Order: sequence, then structure tokens, then C-alpha cells
Amino acid sequence: MKRELVLNVNGEEHDIEIEPNRLLLEALREDVGLTGTKEGCSIGVCGACSVIVDGRLVSACLTLAAACEGKKIETIEGLAQDGELHPLQRAFVQYGGFQCGICTPGQIMAAKALLDHNPNPTADQVKEWMSANLCRCTGYYKILESVMAVVEGKVDEGGQGEAVREARIQSLYKSDTYKSDASD
Amino acid sequence: MSKAENYAVLGRNFDRFEGHDKVTGSAAYVADVFLPGMLTGRILRSPLPHARIRNIDTSRAEKLRGVKAVVTAEDTIKKGWGVFFPDQYPLSVGKARYVGEEVAAVAAIDRDTAEEALELIDVDWEELPAVFDAAEAMEPDAPLIHEEKENNIALTIDVVRGDIDAAFKDSDLVVEDTFESVPQWHSAIETIGSVADYSANGKYTVYMNTQTLFMARMRLATALGVREADVRVIQTAVGGGFGGKSCDDNNAMVAAILARKARRPVKIINTREEEFLAGSRPRVNMKVWVRMGFKSDGRIRAKHMRIIADNGAYSGKAPAITGVAALRHDTCYKYSDVRSEAYLVYTNKIPTGAFRGFGNPSAEFSVEQMMDIAADELGMDPFEMARLNAAEEGYVSPHGNRVISCELRQCIDRTERMIGWKEKRAERKPNRGLGMGCTVHVSGKRHFGDYDGSSATIKMNEDGKAFILSGEGETGQGHWTAMCQIAAEELGVPFSDVAISEADTDLTTFCLGNYASRLTYVAGNAVKNAATAVKEILHETAAEMLECDPGDLVSRDGFIFVKGAEQRSISVADVVRGRQFRRGGAPVVASGSFDADSVSQDALRYGNESGAYNFGAQAAEVEVDPDTGHVKVIQYAVASDCGTVIYPIGAEGQVEGSIAQGLGYALIEGIRMEEGRPVNPNFSDYRLASMRDMPDLVHEFADSYEPTGPFGAKGLGELGMDPVAAIISNAIYDAVGVRIRTLPITAEKVLRALQEKKKNGG
Repeated sequence: MKRELVLNVNGEEHDIEIEPNRLLLEALREDVGLTGTKEGCSIGVCGACSVIVDGRLVSACLTLAAACEGKKIETIEGLAQDGELHPLQRAFVQYGGFQCGICTPGQIMAAKALLDHNPNPTADQVKEWMSANLCRCTGYYKILESVMAVVEGKVDEGGQGEAVREARIQSLYKSDTYKSDASD
Repeated sequence: MSKAENYAVLGRNFDRFEGHDKVTGSAAYVADVFLPGMLTGRILRSPLPHARIRNIDTSRAEKLRGVKAVVTAEDTIKKGWGVFFPDQYPLSVGKARYVGEEVAAVAAIDRDTAEEALELIDVDWEELPAVFDAAEAMEPDAPLIHEEKENNIALTIDVVRGDIDAAFKDSDLVVEDTFESVPQWHSAIETIGSVADYSANGKYTVYMNTQTLFMARMRLATALGVREADVRVIQTAVGGGFGGKSCDDNNAMVAAILARKARRPVKIINTREEEFLAGSRPRVNMKVWVRMGFKSDGRIRAKHMRIIADNGAYSGKAPAITGVAALRHDTCYKYSDVRSEAYLVYTNKIPTGAFRGFGNPSAEFSVEQMMDIAADELGMDPFEMARLNAAEEGYVSPHGNRVISCELRQCIDRTERMIGWKEKRAERKPNRGLGMGCTVHVSGKRHFGDYDGSSATIKMNEDGKAFILSGEGETGQGHWTAMCQIAAEELGVPFSDVAISEADTDLTTFCLGNYASRLTYVAGNAVKNAATAVKEILHETAAEMLECDPGDLVSRDGFIFVKGAEQRSISVADVVRGRQFRRGGAPVVASGSFDADSVSQDALRYGNESGAYNFGAQAAEVEVDPDTGHVKVIQYAVASDCGTVIYPIGAEGQVEGSIAQGLGYALIEGIRMEEGRPVNPNFSDYRLASMRDMPDLVHEFADSYEPTGPFGAKGLGELGMDPVAAIISNAIYDAVGVRIRTLPITAEKVLRALQEKKKNGG
């Protein structure tokens, strides 16, 4: 039997009708129409469906929609403001913190939950916190780099980030290092 | 020649083409496709590993309110499909051969109704004896899984090059051992799914998260009994592929069959459990016996391998994978006399298939350990031995693989330096050890028909922006971005002036798709050729407009200049408009094709399988806890020869992701099977490495240039994965003197080996 429910998502109220056994994940994706929150494992271990509810990071695949009534729900769709990416989103683009992108909304929401509580975590704290979000593509290195870029204020706000790129190209080839070794 | 700074666009990082969509949650994956009137499809799967179907009664399910279609094999043409052997059906015909096989399916107004309907389907099963181990399945009294396949053998390979007996006699050292790998699931965070629609005029439109669009279409057409043009496959955003989404499964077939019967769109998204049971086809597990002969100076003299590979219940790509495991590694070192025997054997388990590495990881898990064992016996430094045997430019493998560019020795040198081999060996720490290994991979492979090519079309918009039409598709590796860079470089326009299409079989020319590390090399060449053709058209019109000879023109930054008189220039946009908006006007559009200079292997499996070969060396430092057997990877070093690096962040990402998957394969990933049924089909028990599990990783790309590649580039995607497990095993041996021959190398196995060693006074 469906019941009426008001969900506050990214500051906007949504009136939906939903079975009481439906999950927040389904309500967001199918009833509110925000498909940025992804399903990965369905048992709360992969973090792809991470959203923030009243300031706490939760797995939307384990949370009943009805339990979120009257609470503030934050999803990936709420991060960019007036077309401007959130610093975490920019950092993930700048530092290559994603490949296929399916875990990315969850990764970014998890990182946001961490930085909302602690804007200056150490790399080890980031690693520990982000270990609840699985990624099969990146090996996590660039996700860590992306989050740390925000922590350290290194997100290039100026578009393409030429300086960062030049440094990368240099470190990639390291030709001089190699040649000096080879001439020994 | 290989230096990035010579290029305007290549070797630089740009915002990934589809990046903003992915970080804002607006990229549309298959689960995000909602069509009007769309139904939810669910599949009834075999609960038994081997059983005859006496009868299926669907009448109760059909009567359930909200059910719009129920299908069984009776709704199909019962024609087998499969890329090499057509031995699999969309829905079981006569019997089921593994737990999870698709038997029937339901389309209903919602998931609850569909699942309720599945419970109302009555199948009358007659259970048959089953076999789960490939070696046992070859025994004469083993139950037959496909009646026509004697001894359950799907494929036999026996390749002999040179005089193997004489070569072993001529060897100063002969070593032999047996190694065993296990299936590895792709575990893409997005499961396989599809949305199928069937129109009144008889056309199927299927949205799929596939890596191989046109092959998906070919197989759908075969299984549905229609022409290829009657099927349109549209690629959605793909949430991770790694080989698992290369269409050897039945998900889209079943969705299409349901859509036709229901006359409404049907969506089927695999649950995570279904993905383990019958979704992505896990890595082919192999038992590999190998004997190698060496000269006393460390040169390889002979190699003999015997592989028993587990096909599972049906043949997807495992026949080709077995061939790669048997032969590919012989391109890494210089070999003269080799013999490779392999048997691919049916068992009553999920069919195995393509996973990053494609047979190479199982082969390298054995051969790269044999190299280590031999170096130890000969008292040689493994890096020295690798350098001595390394393939080089001009090498032709015993199986005909022709190596053009090869920087394997450079990779070995870089790896040795990055891991600090000499320093760490000089100052050894207790329970710490180092291991190394080398690897080779292809840049595309001539597997499917006598074609190893790609094609692309580029059309210019009247604002001067180029648009690439390509059916190869993006699966997350950054292919779209790399293609835009190649086109921009060749056209002489900024990166921001190039865009690329989504892959759609109706709108693009035939493309093989994402596998065999082929895109940068093969598709890159096609895109470059298309760009060259477009540039010629632009220059032709620009020459008319600037009143000069086309041969005097150069393109740069979106402008076309007269060489030596650069004040005479015109924007690309003006040229496009000039050609379009005039009497007899025409659009600026051209296609480019490329087919690699490879050949299909002959009946004796001889032939150059790829246009270019990529090489690498890697090393690991590990620490083993002698009390628990726990292995900690302290540092991992990788050097890769992929020719010119087109898109650095993308290339680095391929290396980093490969190592992560390789370490998972080496140390933690395995599934417990009981009577052919996975007992832990979820991410809680099938554990993937997380951020805190990752070691310090250092990597570099070799200075390298592949003359046949687009701007010198070649493949990279799988290379990193291949040798990781062997290298970890070598490092563990170096640390504590025990060698683990079966994957994954769990703490329990290491501890048992340490206890055994202690007992034997080691």
C-alpha cells in the first residue's frame, strides 16, 4: 500500500507516493528522478549509493525512504551550484579521480561528508574513511590525490590547470633521470 | 621523436571528454534509461549444475496480475550462439549446464511482481551427474556436458616449434613445476544490464552497457534469427568493463525476447548475485605445468607448457584465451624451441571468459616464476637474466609475432632503479623480499574474422568544431578523450574544438570495440586517418580562398596558414562555411580506416597476431609476517612501454587500475564453489582491495615510439595486470623462502608453507 511522503533532497521538497518497504535508493532514482545515486552491491559494502542524510553518510541501498522524511538529504546532484562544479568535483576531473564513473557520485559524497566534519584530514585519515567506497578502475591513487587536492587547496580553479599538467608530463617521462642512469 | 612537447595536444591532460557528466551524476548508465511503458524483466535461473528439463509450466505465472510476458526456449529459435563455438542458448534448450543458467524469464510492471511470477513457474527437473574440475572432466567416465564433445574437451592445442627434445638435452639447467590460477570476477561496480525495445515494424533497439557494440549486435541477430540491420545497439555509459561486458552473456538476449513478446520495452539489470552466477564471464582458471631449459649463462633454451583450462559450461572467448595463454608470452623473451599443449575443458560451472590480460596472467603466473626459480638455481640476478633474454626490436617469436618497437630492456632498467633493487638487496631486512617480472601484450589482435581494424568518420560543424563518429565506445579508460586529442593534433585545432559521438550501431561504421588493448593503436590510427582526409578537404578549400597551393598550407590552433607567409590565414570555421554555403556547396566530412598489419594465425597457430606489441617490467617489495603468513606489499614499481603517451592521466590510470586488479588476483580474490555453486556471490565475501590496501606505487613510461602507431602510440590497458601475481609470489619467496603455486596467495597458504618448511628443517 503506497503512502505519501515528503523528501527534502538538496534543499527541495519532493512529494512522492511510495510503498513503505522501498529504499531511499529507489525513491531517489525512480520517484524523485535523481539517478546520480548508483546501485553497486545492494548490501551496503561498496559505497556507490552513498548520500548524506542530516550530515551523516549513509548507504541509500540500506536506508528506507520513509525513514528519511523530515531529514535533509544531500545527493551528487546538489553539489554543483549555478553550473559551477563543487571543488571536489573539479578536483576529480583535474586529477583523474574516476574512470568509468559509476562509483564516482558515491566517492564524492563520501569525501564531502568527511570534509564537512574535518576540512583538514591527513592522507591516512582520508584513506581510512574512503576505504568504504570501492572502485574497480582506478586503484584509488587518483581518488586520494583528488581529495587531498581539495584539502591542500590545490584545486586549480583556472580551467585546464596548465602548471599541474606540465609537472605531470615532466614526472611521467623522467627522461633525464633515465639517461643519466644508462650512461653510467 | 617521442617527446610530448613536440605536440600541441598529445601528451597533455585535458578535462576528460565526459568528465563533467560523470562527476555531477548526469552520465546516463543503463540503469538510468527509462522508456515509456517500460517493464522490469527477471530471469529464472537453474538451481542445479546439470539437469534435464522434462517440462516447464508457466501458466500460473502468466495469470499473475501485472505480468506482461513469460518466455522459455519455446519463444526462441533455439539456435546456438557463441563467438567461437555456437554452444549456448539465450534460454535453456533441453537441459541446463550450470547453476545460474537462464531457463525462463518474466516481464512485469514492477520488480516485486516479476519476482513473484518467477516463483510461479514450475520446472520439472531431472538431475544429471555433474563435473566441476577440468582435469576430472577429461576422465573417460566423466559425465558429458555437451554430448557431442568427447571427454568434454572443447579445444586442443599442440604447437611445437624447433626441436624441443634436442633443446632440453642442450640445456644446462632444466626446471619444472605446476601452477594453478582461479577464476577472477571483473566485479565492475555496475552489473551487466540492458533495455530492449521492439517496434511494430520488427526492429529491436537495445540499450546496453557493452564494450563491444557491433559484436553484441551480431550475436543478438544470430540468437534472435534476424538480420543485423534489424537490431540497433546503443551504448550507454559503461560502469566498468575489463572484458566482462564483451557480450558473452545472455542478459540482452533475454530482454529482447521479452520485449518482442510483451510489445513493450523491458529492462533487465543483473543483481550482484546474478553477476557472480551468470553475468560477467570470470577469468579462465588454468592449471599450468611448465618445464624450462636454460644455458648456464642464463639464456632460455627450451620451454614446454601443458595447460588445462576450465571452460565452464559454454564457450565464450575461452578458446582464444587458451591460445593466448599457450603462445603470447613467447614474444616477451627470445625463444627458439618451444612446445605448448593446451586443453580447454567443459565443466558444470559458469562459463569463463575475457578478463583484462586474456590468458596472459595465468601463463605469466607460471613462466615468470620459472624464470625466478631458474635465476635462483643459477645464482643469477633476476634482472640480469631478464635483460639477457628480453625481446628487442626486430624479434620474431617462434609463433610469428613480429616486434617492431620494443623498449623492454629500458623498462627493466627503470624498474630496477625505481624499486631500489641493488640498494635493498645489499641491505636485506628480515622477512622483506623483492620480486620482479616482465610482460608483453598486444595492441589489438586478429581474432574475429580476418579483420583487426577500425574506422571513423569526422564531420566539421559550421562553427569549426570537429565531430568524430565512432562505434568503438567508451568504457571508462579515457578512450574518447584520447581520440579527441589525436583528431585535434592531426587537424591542427584546439582540443576543445573536437567532440566524439556515443557508439550506436545505426549511426557509426563497423567497429570491433573495447578489447585486446586495441583502441589507442587501432582506433587511434583510424581517427588519425579520418582527420588527415578532413584536413585535405579543408586545405583544398582554404587554398581556393587564400589563392595559394594546398601544399603550402599548415593547420594550427584552429587556423590554416600559408607556410612562410603566416599573416595569410583563415579560420577553420570560415573554411567550413566557405565550402558549405556556396553554389554546389558540400559539408566537410571524411572517413578513415585502418587495418593492422597482422595476420590470422594459420592451422598451426602461426602468424603475427597484432600490429604492435607493448612491453613492461615490474617489481615488488613485500613483507611477510612469519607468525600469520600475512603479506604486505610495501612498494610496487612499474615501467611500461606503450609508445607515445597520448593522454597521461588516462595512461596512468590504466597502469594504476591494472596493478590494483593484479594485486587482488594475487592476494585476495577467490570464490568458494560448492557443487558448482558460488557460496559467496557478493562484495562482502568476494573482497576487493580498498584504498587503504594499496601499496606505494611508482611508475614510469619508457621513451618509446611505435612507427605503425598513431603518433607513435600503442596499447597499454592490459599490460600492467599480466605479471603481478608472479611478481608477488617471487617476492614472497625472496622474503621467507616459500613458494606459493596456487592463487590467491592467502595468508593461510603462506603460513602453512612456512610451517611445512620449518618441519622439514628449512
